[in-house]
Amino acid sequence: MRGLAIDDAAWSSRWRDHAVRDKACLSLGLLLAAALLPPWPTSAIVAVVALGLLVGRAGTSLALVARAVRGPLAFVAIGSVSVAVVVSTSGGPFLSVTTDSAARAAGVAGHAVAGCSAMLLLAMTTPMVDLLAGLRRLRLPAACVEVAGLVYRMLFVLLESVGTIRESQAARLGYSSPSRSLRSAGMLTAATLTRSWSRARRLEQGLAGRELTGSLQTLDEPVPGSTAFLAATASALVAIVAVAALSAGVLP
Amino acid sequence: MHIAEGFLPPVHAAAWTVAAAPFVIHGGRSVVRQVRDHPETKLLLGASGAFTFVLSAIKLPSVTGSSSHPTGTGLGAVLFRPPVMAFLGTVVLLFQALLLAHGGITTLGANAFSMAIVGPWVGYAAYRVVGRLGGGISLSVFFAMALADLSTYCVTSMQLALAFPDPSSGIVGAASKFLSIFAVTQIPLAIAEGLLGVLVFRVLRDVAAPELIRLGVLPDPTPDPPHRAPSGTPTETTEA
Repeated sequence: MRGLAIDDAAWSSRWRDHAVRDKACLSLGLLLAAALLPPWPTSAIVAVVALGLLVGRAGTSLALVARAVRGPLAFVAIGSVSVAVVVSTSGGPFLSVTTDSAARAAGVAGHAVAGCSAMLLLAMTTPMVDLLAGLRRLRLPAACVEVAGLVYRMLFVLLESVGTIRESQAARLGYSSPSRSLRSAGMLTAATLTRSWSRARRLEQGLAGRELTGSLQTLDEPVPGSTAFLAATASALVAIVAVAALSAGVLP
Repeated sequence: MHIAEGFLPPVHAAAWTVAAAPFVIHGGRSVVRQVRDHPETKLLLGASGAFTFVLSAIKLPSVTGSSSHPTGTGLGAVLFRPPVMAFLGTVVLLFQALLLAHGGITTLGANAFSMAIVGPWVGYAAYRVVGRLGGGISLSVFFAMALADLSTYCVTSMQLALAFPDPSSGIVGAASKFLSIFAVTQIPLAIAEGLLGVLVFRVLRDVAAPELIRLGVLPDPTPDPPHRAPSGTPTETTEA
């Protein structure tokens, strides 16, 4: 793993200073549209809107977006192929692809691609600390949000440790064969676990030395929401619903 | 094997969220209680969650020639117990969705049900059963990690089969499709993860035996055992 590219993109996004509420309304609205409306043409519109805003307005690199969607697309491709294949047991098991099953698989893939695009719009424009602060404002239990915040803050140190240990193992030919790779991965996992405990204990002792036993909450200055942004979001969602209704023949 | 965002129909996504909610809320409440009674455990819980996330950066060799990463649900269940893993696992799944684009927000409930609830409980049950049958810690850990991984994969396949039943052979046919298509990677991965668990515990027994005793993973050799630390949190650690 080469760092957390999505997190880096969120911190450097042009939309970093937009209110979390505004971005969440836009992304979740697009997610709902992608999930609830018929796949054609809604999925294509949602994907184009989400990725267009991400690259065009929020300034995220297209190469980075392409890298981020590789993982989910692999699952969507394998899953959609499984949906497309029909298993028939009459006269012995055999596999086939029908027009209906292919259309169904294309619809599933469309929903998923649109959903992933909408989720990336939020993930690549909003750093995790902003999302956690938003969850705290939504009155989720403070202890749970605080533990989630600690997970986020500690994982970078551990990722760096994993990278360093793995590099030194590789330099000592620790990954030159499958059996050595497995042994090295075991050592790496154990070292990472004990380091995480050790770091937590040292942090706890440092905070106790400063008589800090209460909340670890950091400063949170919520950005005021933008009425114009919300109005544009609502307009876009209404337009998507209208296009879907027209395509389905619901509207004249 | 995370179900991607938008892949499940909305009704199924909502149903799995409802099914996972009681376990996650129970785990969240136990975390709140633990933090209130022992504020110092907050950092250890955070470190445990970060460790679970970072497991996805550790590559395992695969028989197919590629590499994959451990799910860590069995390891987490043995070390931190299933209720804590229900909460920590869900937090980690949310982070994986938003920081790695693995999984999703609407599919978080379904992924949490398979990876943060069923996987840890199956792994922990296997660990206890094999231990009681006299299998020893290595065999217990192997089955805990391998079965946690396999059960996660089976539940995910069933979730997909229920959502997309085969037009001809129904849910059974769909389950066989999803189970067989993902078996190519998941069965070797489960075996590799079981072997990884054995290696990890051998190292931990050498360098972090006191912590494993406090977590209740290893038996306490002293006749009058100290009070067990709150679930999932050793009180003192040794640098690797």
